[in-house]
Amino acid sequence: MQEKEFLSLLDELLELEQGALKGSATLESIEGWNSLAVISFMALVDERFGVSVQPRQIAKCTTVADLVGLLGDRIGAEVRA
Amino acid sequence: MDLTGQTILVTGASSGIGRETARLCSQLGARVVLVGRNQERLAETLRSLDGEGHRAEMFDLSSADEIPRWLKSISASSGPLHGLVHSAGIHRLRPVRVLGSRTVEDVMRINVGAAIGLARGFCQRGVGAAGGSIVFLSSVTGLVGQAGIAAYAASKGAIVALTRALAVELAPERIRVNCVAPGVVTTPLWQGVLEMLTPEQGAALEAMHLLGLGSARDVSYAIAFLIAGTARWITGAVLVVDGGYTAH
Repeated sequence: MQEKEFLSLLDELLELEQGALKGSATLESIEGWNSLAVISFMALVDERFGVSVQPRQIAKCTTVADLVGLLGDRIGAEVRA
Repeated sequence: MDLTGQTILVTGASSGIGRETARLCSQLGARVVLVGRNQERLAETLRSLDGEGHRAEMFDLSSADEIPRWLKSISASSGPLHGLVHSAGIHRLRPVRVLGSRTVEDVMRINVGAAIGLARGFCQRGVGAAGGSIVFLSSVTGLVGQAGIAAYAASKGAIVALTRALAVELAPERIRVNCVAPGVVTTPLWQGVLEMLTPEQGAALEAMHLLGLGSARDVSYAIAFLIAGTARWITGAVLVVDGGYTAH
């Protein structure tokens, strides 16, 4: 999966317009990024990527690009800010 | 409580509440049929039981239609079952926005479908002994709301309804059907959920339990009470064992 598809999944998860999220977006600026969204994100990356992410790892993320970084080499390209 | 001379089948016996219930039943004098998917962990439970005559059975409960025939074969070799405890279950922390039908089906298949299959099997002639007792595992989440676990909560609410329906249906056959509704107990299943929560969320959930989090042993006492003759006049009941979670 490429970064674009991943961001599109995040858009869908947070009910944003497709293409709304950019890697540089800070998590605190995203409406709907709350504790349930965090759990949803964890479920999403577990099911789609087989990656187990812990809440403490997410707590250290400040931007969307940081979230993508949690997937390591499971994502096909670097997220451009 | 005394289970001397009785044979009790326990699903989910390789860990958590199932394992602890199996241990307690053996300490109360029962022969226990342990059911699980992990041979090594079942053998571990088996070694920890008191008394003799216990056995471990590997079985995948997701094949609900196979359960009656399988239970028939167990009773053919172990004799009629006096009690059945369905402790196997799966938990999925999935907010509704990411709750796909596959997750719902997986949860319902084991938590509810297998329960129905086990009841079907138990009430066959020669499988469940006269005066037999079935205990299902519900949860406080089947009684009061909790965010992020809609599928699990629905399955545990279904267990309450199933318990009452079967209690009525099987009473003429002198089979009692009850369930326990635990709050959070510190089991491997809970550990898996805890890993998906922030420390603050975990602490908030713990604070809801007025007496603190429980142990598998706390729940196993309630299960054994319902299985044993101590509950001979109780059927269709939901025994809440939650350290005060639902008291406020």
